[in-house]
Amino acid sequence: MIRGAVPIIARREFVERIRDKGFLISTGITLLVLVVFVGAGSLLAGGTSYDVGLAGADARALEQRVVDRAAALDIEVAVHRFDDAAAAERAVRTGDVDAAVVDGDGIVVRSDPPADLVAVIQAVSARERAEGALAGAGLTSGEVQTALEQPPLAVRALEPLDRRQREYAAVGFIGVLALYGQLFAYGYWVAAGVVEEKSSRVVEVLLATVRPSQLLRGKIIGIGVLGLCQLALIGAVGFAASQLLGGLRFPEGVLVVIGLVLVWFVLGYFFYAGLFAVAGAIVPRQEDLQSTMTPLSILIIASFFLGIEANQHPDSLLAVVTSMLPPSAPLVMPSRLILGEAAIWEGLLSAAICVAATMALVPLATRIYSRSVLQRSRVRIRAVLRTPREE
Amino acid sequence: MLELVGLTRRFGHVVALDDVSFSVAPGEMVGFVGPNGAGKTTAMRIALGVLETDAGEVRWRGRPVDARVRRRFGYMPEERGLYPKMRVLDHLVYLARLHGLEPDDARAQAVRGTQILGVADRSDARVQTLSLGNQQRVQLAAALVHRPEVLVLDEPFSGLDPVGVDVLSGVLREQAAAGVPVVFSSHQLDLVERLCESVVLIHRGRIVASGRISDLRDADPRRLVRVEVAGARPGWYERLPGVRVADPLPEGAVLELAGAAAAEVLDAARAAGEVRTFTVVRPSLTEIFRRAVGA
Repeated sequence: MIRGAVPIIARREFVERIRDKGFLISTGITLLVLVVFVGAGSLLAGGTSYDVGLAGADARALEQRVVDRAAALDIEVAVHRFDDAAAAERAVRTGDVDAAVVDGDGIVVRSDPPADLVAVIQAVSARERAEGALAGAGLTSGEVQTALEQPPLAVRALEPLDRRQREYAAVGFIGVLALYGQLFAYGYWVAAGVVEEKSSRVVEVLLATVRPSQLLRGKIIGIGVLGLCQLALIGAVGFAASQLLGGLRFPEGVLVVIGLVLVWFVLGYFFYAGLFAVAGAIVPRQEDLQSTMTPLSILIIASFFLGIEANQHPDSLLAVVTSMLPPSAPLVMPSRLILGEAAIWEGLLSAAICVAATMALVPLATRIYSRSVLQRSRVRIRAVLRTPREE
Repeated sequence: MLELVGLTRRFGHVVALDDVSFSVAPGEMVGFVGPNGAGKTTAMRIALGVLETDAGEVRWRGRPVDARVRRRFGYMPEERGLYPKMRVLDHLVYLARLHGLEPDDARAQAVRGTQILGVADRSDARVQTLSLGNQQRVQLAAALVHRPEVLVLDEPFSGLDPVGVDVLSGVLREQAAAGVPVVFSSHQLDLVERLCESVVLIHRGRIVASGRISDLRDADPRRLVRVEVAGARPGWYERLPGVRVADPLPEGAVLELAGAAAAEVLDAARAAGEVRTFTVVRPSLTEIFRRAVGA
């Protein structure tokens, strides 16, 4: 019978908050910012593209070559034909095209020549003219081709750029950011919810029917489920936006990050929720909450910076250690996992440590909460733990 | 029968309750009376399990009360408390559910509660938008929403307007008539006198008197007269021989006859002015209480 109280309490926490206009608006804003962010990212990350105008003789011959050469360099070029040089120049001047090639012997740009585009055109034109010159010197077209088809120099990068790794790090960063925001916001809600019950005195009505531990559990579960749902929604919208707007070469990375973030939110939230509840239970009013929450805020902010650090140097000793310690693990381990720096067993071990720490903290937090929640003045934790009553 | 047996509770060095025992029979309405800090709230909190007792126990139907049984109690704490942002009906449904009612039943009971207490038109309003009087009505509806077997109300009348007092009195009478033991604390002794057959008087953590009000009166040997005189000089009665002032009134006083005869007092009153009232009265609850605490 009495066990049934926890789901009822959790349900109230969930329903009352999800109905709140402020919550809906802030969720909407978060999603909007996310879509804009993904959109802007895909614009910036997308390959370079240019519009080129061609006018006069040789235009047709140049067209295909420019496009091919550009494509080889991962540059997208759209070619526009103009009847005469004047029309081409007009287009350059208005910005309709980035550069124009007139009569095959000059490049017109408005002010600042786009270096890679100019290089492409120069190369194509040089080849064109070299072919002409060689043919003029009496070589057959076969000989001309052989002479000009020299293999490009091999490039050897000393520190090669791993595009996949880079993208995973970027997506992982967003994941850490989301986790940080979510842990903070929902932890705060637990604390504020506890204070609300204290300051409105409704807690005495509630404690006449349920035990403090049930009240605490129900509150933490209800708020946590809401946080998880919101996070899942943000993940789903983020993934959908990145798919629709493009910009991701390795979309499976996003899915892995979303999964990791959801799992680590659950682990981190339950670890922190009991502490936030204590922060709320020992103060009488909302105004006093800031002071007791400060140590927790510092802990989460520090973990967030460790998470960012780990995102950049996932193999550092600092990252390895902090990815195993419960306060920081939720913000550090996801990056190490997505970047392939932590093995799955490490992730599982870290999760197990986090769960164990939570299990150890919950009875303590429940005890402090139970003994403080009816007190009207600021409570000293040490004094509360010493009194042998009010389980 | 709700029984509080030998309850003792200390807060640090302060003894809040010292061997407090009393009982409330089904259908009985008991007033729990005492000055501030006497231990009323502590006793009620212990009865509801909000506080633990150092010694003694609370029994219902002859058995010690546990959490499951307490769930069927109705409680209104002195510190009124509701979620300020919740809507009235939702709030009542929620509390009914916590007390173990099924969803449909909880809703029906919540609706009924708002109707009985006259706040049905504010069902969808947030609690914080209600006037204090209406919040108090919702609070009482909350105490009643789960058809409690026992009602324990801490200062239920404080802060109510006269209409609210009448509504609440009616509701409590109905509950008692339906066989629910009702115990409430109050400072308004006239109200307790009007509503309750029995009282428990507590002072400094100890029960100083308890039982039926009529029995307590009969046990009081004092002879009292109520005299009101128009146009008399103030305090005309203060120096009468063989008379003690029990309770001063605007135009006279309740006087205790300690040696003087009623007729002598009446003569003095006539001499003082125009006599409006002269009646032999039985001691009021206030006087019984004063005497019990030796004040």
